[in-house]
Amino acid sequence: MTAEEWLGRLTTELHRRGVAPDAVVAEAAHHLRESGQAPERVFGPPAAYAAAVAESLLGPGVEPPGWVRPAAAGEEPGVEPPGAVRLEARGITKRYAHRTVLDGVDLTVRAGEVVAVVGANGCGKSTLLRICAGLTSPDAGEVHVRGRLGYCPQEGGTVERLTPDEHFVLIGAGRGTDRATARRQGRTAAAVLDWPGVDRSPVAGKLSGGTRQKLNLIMSGLGDPDVLLLDEPYQGFDKGSYLDFWQQVWRWRTERKAVVVVTHLLSELNRVDNVLELGR
Amino acid sequence: MRTLAVAEATLREIARRRSVLVLLLVIPLAFYLARRGTEWWQGLRFMVMGVGWAMSTAALFAGNGARAIEPRLRISGYAARHLWLGQLLALWTVGAAVSVPYWVLVRVDLPQVRSGAMALILALTVLIAAPFGLGISALLPRELEGMLVLLTVLAMQTVLAPEARAGQALPFWFAREIGVYAVESDAGADHLTKGLTHAAVAAVILLAAVAVLSGLRLRRRRHLRLSAA
Repeated sequence: MTAEEWLGRLTTELHRRGVAPDAVVAEAAHHLRESGQAPERVFGPPAAYAAAVAESLLGPGVEPPGWVRPAAAGEEPGVEPPGAVRLEARGITKRYAHRTVLDGVDLTVRAGEVVAVVGANGCGKSTLLRICAGLTSPDAGEVHVRGRLGYCPQEGGTVERLTPDEHFVLIGAGRGTDRATARRQGRTAAAVLDWPGVDRSPVAGKLSGGTRQKLNLIMSGLGDPDVLLLDEPYQGFDKGSYLDFWQQVWRWRTERKAVVVVTHLLSELNRVDNVLELGR
Repeated sequence: MRTLAVAEATLREIARRRSVLVLLLVIPLAFYLARRGTEWWQGLRFMVMGVGWAMSTAALFAGNGARAIEPRLRISGYAARHLWLGQLLALWTVGAAVSVPYWVLVRVDLPQVRSGAMALILALTVLIAAPFGLGISALLPRELEGMLVLLTVLAMQTVLAPEARAGQALPFWFAREIGVYAVESDAGADHLTKGLTHAAVAAVILLAAVAVLSGLRLRRRRHLRLSAA
């Protein structure tokens, strides 16, 4: 890792831990120039060094902001409560052969709210999301979406032989966004998910599973949708990207979007405002 | 703008399938050279079938390659017609690029052939092969099965006698009729008329099939009601 790359990683890690990076990075850069040594030899891995800096500045045991959900309405004064209903699913029933997967499921998500859909494997989480996105027909029930939809499938959803930039342009054209704006929006979203150099990335088929899933997630947020349906979008993410993902979800919540996250990880439930448990 | 965006993406996707591009260019040539000797008119027929098969296969791959992203493109503001029209535009562009060298080859190598009729055969082959391949990809999403169907149809088109009803029901029968007009100096215009009529009917049926299949697969489900925020 070059000194420049190491300093870039340090900046990201400090951000994740709620530490303003400028002074720390400038000091580290100065030290590296003076010593002429490799950064990992002097400071160790960027994540470990950032953790040590954060502990010395914030104190031991203080959870960095990337780990905890921002306060919801009622938990702290001044936090805006969820707004108008953006997604309303009523009486959703779906059968495959003789098995009923969803039986009269209701789901309501408001602007500025994050809802998790949880349940065991095969309980119909992804099916419910596909029904909400209008990609699968239910046997009974209806869905009303107020605003624009963004959908991130669990897998697929990209074209093997197109680059990320070309994906951004393609989605952008559907949303009525010009090429330059679509590229800029995509690259900005990629930077938020700790994906530098997205403009130089190869075609989607050559990306790692986690990076490809980042592309999937970025595409779902392009064009400023009002309702985001995310089907286990963090598969293959490393720990840092996983934290960045939740930061992004909360940013969407602050922007008054309605967000539905399908997950099977019960440890994530403290990160959301409401939970819909299927298969009970 | 949306149709053009899909066309551009499809063109890029096809352009990056290097082996497919090479086959697109080489297969018709191999067919042509195989029968170029004393039965040069057969070489022409085989070359046209080669163009038809290569373009149908490219369309099959393009259709299958786009399948994963099409539902999210529908959600992102595209209508089904933007998607299939964009793909067809891209495939027709590729087909034109593949056909022109063959038209030049025939003009130089076989000057006795009516070059206008030859241009017509190649243009109609490309026009029909693209929706034919896309239609097969809509019905059979697995590439191997689709390839086998394409191979069967093209092989039958080649071996069936032109007067056989089954041969006339296949999409590239027109090539043989217009081919007669192209290679036989005393052939009447009725061959041309029959060929053009067949091609028009085949094109209308295949385009309608692609539109209907795509529209059905990517239709907005009745249970979903969208309104402004």
